[in-house]
Amino acid sequence: MTKYAKDYSVGELMCVTLAREIEDGDVIVLGSFTPLAYASYILAKITHAPNSTLLAYAAVDFRPFQLSFIRAESSATIGASCIWTMLEDLNSVHLKGRGDVEAISSIQADQYGNINLSVVGEYDSPKLRGPGGAGAPEVIKMHRKMIGYFPNHSKMTFVPKVDVITGTRYVIDAEERIKQGYRPGPIKYISNLAVITKEKKAKPFRIDSLHPGVTADQVVENTGFDLEVPKDIPETELPTAEQVRLIREEVDPYGTLAFDFKPGKERLGYLHEILQKELEAIGYA
Amino acid sequence: MTTESKVGKLGDIKKIIKDGDKVAVGGSWLGGHPMAIIREIIRSNIKNLTAITVVGSIDIDLLVGAGCLSRLMFSFVSMEAFGLAPNFRRAIEKEGLPYDEITGLAVIIGLEAGGRNMPFLPYRGPFGSDLVKYRPEFYKEIKCPFTGEALIAAAAIVPDVAIIHATRADHTGNVQIEGTSGTDVEMMRAAKKRIVSVEEIVSPEEIRRNPYKTKIPKFQVDMVIEAPMGAHPCACAPSYVFDPWHIMQYMQAAASPETFQQYLDHYVKKPEWEYLEAIGGIKQASILRRLAREVKFL
Repeated sequence: MTKYAKDYSVGELMCVTLAREIEDGDVIVLGSFTPLAYASYILAKITHAPNSTLLAYAAVDFRPFQLSFIRAESSATIGASCIWTMLEDLNSVHLKGRGDVEAISSIQADQYGNINLSVVGEYDSPKLRGPGGAGAPEVIKMHRKMIGYFPNHSKMTFVPKVDVITGTRYVIDAEERIKQGYRPGPIKYISNLAVITKEKKAKPFRIDSLHPGVTADQVVENTGFDLEVPKDIPETELPTAEQVRLIREEVDPYGTLAFDFKPGKERLGYLHEILQKELEAIGYA
Repeated sequence: MTTESKVGKLGDIKKIIKDGDKVAVGGSWLGGHPMAIIREIIRSNIKNLTAITVVGSIDIDLLVGAGCLSRLMFSFVSMEAFGLAPNFRRAIEKEGLPYDEITGLAVIIGLEAGGRNMPFLPYRGPFGSDLVKYRPEFYKEIKCPFTGEALIAAAAIVPDVAIIHATRADHTGNVQIEGTSGTDVEMMRAAKKRIVSVEEIVSPEEIRRNPYKTKIPKFQVDMVIEAPMGAHPCACAPSYVFDPWHIMQYMQAAASPETFQQYLDHYVKKPEWEYLEAIGGIKQASILRRLAREVKFL
């Protein structure tokens, strides 16, 4: 009988939900340093997916490591089985469709499987110039599953149509994906409220599961496009007590995972706290 | 016979980088950017550059804030967990800096095309992306001559100069990169001229002891500059981590043009050795090196 955790944060719930998307043997790619994605993949690697291959920076098949705000790159590099250039990465994983998951986030996401990391507003006179998409706008089409995570489920993020299509899943239906040389897999968005999924171009996103205490109405109200709302929606599977222990004691003892969930104003102070702990751990502070 | 030396000083970069050049900037995310060379570009008052980056951060933000660019090509510019890049945002949102936002794969494949002396390379590109529509000079839809499949042609990118930072090189220009090389190798192949700064210059014998680490052979390098901590405040994995304390200070300074000017005066517009003292000298360097080594595997 699985022992579920009684005490967990929404960050830990999202982390575990994303980790459960990783299947043993998957090839998993990390882009920018995002604590949630790193924690999820490393948790999966040390629990149910020991045969997965993790890629980050230039490192291929790196040993799972304890998360740190500053040391992700050196940890991945020192623990790597192979060091690639970006072009080798592209040629070997992305273009061939060998990647299973690269979890992405986005300023806006819409009902068609488009993401926007470019601008909010008009492209030529933007209200907000975003960072751009790096590889994300293209690899979301190439990987088996398109997984997005969104710490703030709102109508600001989930819009009917993105202001700019930086990238798109492009081919959604399984049969069509196979026909065009891509492996079939769903679009799945994990938010702080729920998990929503899209598998057919002609059908809307469906609420797959609701996080504890969240109602379907609440998800519908905070989503800027129509959702399919099944009659009986299951609760998102809770983190187990062991998963929460592993996150807190092994994977992320410095608490980097909570960083994405802090309001903008508190982030700097929180960061100073993490850094202080990291310094103390190496005997410097 | 003696071998030719390509060793230069930071001050020599203006012999290679000229006003108006297209400059490919190596490194990726908060790692490996040639920051000492970037600071020297600002000190040397080189202007009207077009910077080309795949995944840029403080390197691009500094060049933008110091007014060195007249155009920017990028797929991503961000200070990652520290926030959006302040000067980059301000220049585009308020000052209308012209830019070409190109998807990451198209920049890399475009550089590869440049390195192969090809006008373009085809791939199953970003169909459906608005960026393809907005920048037809970089993307064209073509048909595969064998199967008729629709493909995207990514236009070749040929920088005038590539600048990168690496772990070590010998005086003839054989370059070893221990950690993340990003698109450094592709940039060096594609560019007409290339400058590399390194943590240390070592003997050719030292390079030959481990040829597997040599990513760029000497004929693809025009100038080698020794610049210890030359990626600071970015990381040079696995030697040292990025400097989060300095980056936080930078983020505060870059919040307004006035305070950013003070940052430039205090840190950048002085000799590189004084920069290294200003950021905390040997003590700070050893903290960043120690953090890079002390990793814990699970």
